[in-house]
Amino acid sequence: MVAQPILQVNQLSKSFTPPAMLWQGVSFSLAAHESIAICGQSGSGKSTLLFALGGLEPVQSGTIEFNGQRIVAGRYRYTPGISYVFQHYHLIQELTVAENIFMATRLNPSAASPDPSYTETLFSTLGLKPLLNGTPSRLSGGEQQRVAIARALITQPKLLLADEPTGSLDEATGAQVMALLLQICATVQTGLILVTHNATFAQQTNRQFELKDGHLYEKN
Amino acid sequence: MKKRTWILYLAFRYLFPQKRFGTFFTWISTAGILAGVTLLTVVLSIMNGFDENIAQKLIQINGPIKILSPALMPDSDSFKKSLKKAAYVKAVTPFAQGITLLQHFNRVAFPKCIGFDPHSVQQVLPLQQFVEQGNLADLSKGAFVSAALAKEFDFHIGDTVDLYSPMSLEAIKQEELILPQEVPIVGIFKTGWADIDRDTLLLPLPLLQELYGLGNQVHGYSVEVDRKHIQEACTALNAILPPSLTAYTWHTLNKDFLYILRMEKAMCFFVLLFVVMVAAFSMSSGLMTTVIRKQREIALLQTLGATQWDIALIFSVQSMLLGALGTVLGFLCAYGVLSYRNTIVHLLTGWFLPENALWDFYSVETLPVAYSLQDFAAITFFAILVTFGASLFPVIHLKRLPIMQHLRGE
Ligand SMILES: Nc1ncnc2c1ncn2[C@@H]1O[C@H](COP(=O)(O)OP(=O)(O)OP(=O)(O)O)[C@@H](O)[C@H]1O
Ligand SMILES: [Mg+2]
Repeated sequence: MVAQPILQVNQLSKSFTPPAMLWQGVSFSLAAHESIAICGQSGSGKSTLLFALGGLEPVQSGTIEFNGQRIVAGRYRYTPGISYVFQHYHLIQELTVAENIFMATRLNPSAASPDPSYTETLFSTLGLKPLLNGTPSRLSGGEQQRVAIARALITQPKLLLADEPTGSLDEATGAQVMALLLQICATVQTGLILVTHNATFAQQTNRQFELKDGHLYEKN
Repeated sequence: MKKRTWILYLAFRYLFPQKRFGTFFTWISTAGILAGVTLLTVVLSIMNGFDENIAQKLIQINGPIKILSPALMPDSDSFKKSLKKAAYVKAVTPFAQGITLLQHFNRVAFPKCIGFDPHSVQQVLPLQQFVEQGNLADLSKGAFVSAALAKEFDFHIGDTVDLYSPMSLEAIKQEELILPQEVPIVGIFKTGWADIDRDTLLLPLPLLQELYGLGNQVHGYSVEVDRKHIQEACTALNAILPPSLTAYTWHTLNKDFLYILRMEKAMCFFVLLFVVMVAAFSMSSGLMTTVIRKQREIALLQTLGATQWDIALIFSVQSMLLGALGTVLGFLCAYGVLSYRNTIVHLLTGWFLPENALWDFYSVETLPVAYSLQDFAAITFFAILVTFGASLFPVIHLKRLPIMQHLRGE
C-alpha cells in the first residue's frame, strides 16, 4: 500500500541565532494515517520543528507541503487541517468541558460541524461523556489532557502535532493517555507526529526519528 | 454559531464563567463604572430639573412671548384684537415698567415697578401662584410688594407707601409742588426669582401710566400662545406687527442666560466624566493582568484558528460589556437615588445643618429632577467609548508579547 503523503518536508533549516543552526536539512514525508515519533535531547529543537511544521514558526529555508499545499511558515500562521496537543492542556476554565471541545469547530472557519457518529466515537473512546457538563478546574491532569485531545480531534484534522502530551502526567496516567491518543488517531485516521522523550511511547508509532546535532535521523 | 458570535460569547464567559456569578474583576470594574454613571446621571438630572424650573419660571413671569419696542405702543382694544388674530395666540396683556422712588416714613428705596392690566394679566401670567398674602384680584386697588422688600420695610397689607416717579423731576423743574402717589399695599408676592423678589412692586397699569405720564400707551405686551408652537406664533406676530415693534420668544430674550446654563451643564458633564475615566483606568490595569495571565490560552486559541483581531475583540468586547453593564446598573442606581432624593437630602442636612437652613438658603422645597434621553444617550456613548479605550492598551501590549513561546511548555 503506497499511501499519498499528506506531509512532505524538504531541506528545512532553522536558526534562532545565525549563523549557528538549530537544525538543517530536515527532510521526511508522512503518509496519511501514519504516526511517527521524534525523539531527541532537551534543547535539540523538537518543539521548534513541530511548530515549524504547523506553520507557527518561521524557518530559514526549505519547504513544507501539507495536503498538497505549501505551508508558508510565517509568523504564527494558522493552517486548517492541523491540530495540536501540548504538554499543558490550556483549557479555558470559564467554559464547560463540552464548550472547550467544540470551540475548535467554532474558531476554525473551514471545519464542518462534526457528524454525530464521529463525536460519539471520540467521546466514548476518550471516556469523556461523564465530564462534558463540568468545568475543567475539577478535572485531573489525565482527564484534562483527554479533553485537550478531543478538542484537537473534533475538527477531524488530517494531522495532529503532539508535543510531549504526557509531559505533565505521572507514569501510569501518562501511559494510559498515550495509549488512548494512539488508539484514537488510528480510529479516526489522523496522521500523528509525536514528540516525546519516552522510548516506550515512541516504539508504539509506525516510524521513529531522532533529532540530534541539528539533523533528523530515522531510526531502524 | 458563527465565529464572531462565538468570540463574543467567549468574551462574555470570561466575565461570567460557567457555574460562577461573575468574577471579582467583573464586579469591581462594573462597580467603578456604576459609580461614575450614577454620579453623572444624578447630577445632570438635578441640573436638568433646576433648568426646567428656571425655564418654567421665566415663562410664568414674562409669558412665552413678549412684544417690545424702543417706542411706546398703544393700549387700545383694536390693537389687542389684531394681535389675537395671529396664529396660535391665545391672550395678550399689556405692561409698563420703570423705577420709582418709594418712601415709607423716613426710609426710601428705588424698586422696579411693573404695571399690569388687572383684568387681563391672569390670562397670560399665572401670578396668583406667587402671591403669599392677598389676592391678585385686588391689584386694581393697590400694590403688591416682593417678599424681600416687604421684609426689609416690614410691610403689611393695609400699609401705604409714597411713590415718586421721574415725572416728579419735571414738576421740580417747573417749580411746582410735588405730591407723591399714595399707594396702599394689597399683597405680598414671591416668585423664587431672586432678582425680582429683591425689590419689585406690582402696580395696576393705569397707576404706572399716570406715574410715567404714558397716557394710553404701554411699554409692551406679554402674549400667551399655544405652548407647542411658540416659535410659529412669534413669527406670525412679527408678520402683522408694524416695523417698530418686535415679538420675541422667552428663549430669545434669555438667550445669554440659557447659554450659560448649557455651558455649566457641559462643564459638569466633562468633569464628572473623569470619574468614569478613573474607573476605566483601573479596569484597564485589571484587563492587563488578565491578558498576561491568559497568554497560554490566547496562544492556544490562535492554534485553533483565532486571528489576532479575534483576540483583540475578546478583550475589547469584555471591556465594553463591563461599560454597558456599569452604565445600565448606574442608571438604575441613579433612579433609586433620585427617587429618594428628598429623604436623602433631609437625612444629610439633618446631620450637618440646623433644620431648614438649606431650604431657606436655596429657597427650594424639593430638589427638582428631569430625565433627559439625550443625557442618557451621551452618558452611554461616552461610558462605552471610555471603556473601549481602556481595552486598547492591554490589547496593544498583547500583540507584542511572544505568546506562542508559552505553548512549548517549560
Ligand atoms: N524564540 C527563540 N529565540 C531564541 N532561541 C530560542 C527560541 N525558542 C527556542 N529557542 C532555543 O531553541 C532551542 C530549541 O528549543 P526547543 O524548545 O525546540 O527544544 P526541545 O527539543 O523542544 O526541548 P525540550 O525537550 O526541553 O522541550 C533551545 O536552545 C531554545 O533555547
Ligand atoms: Mg519541547
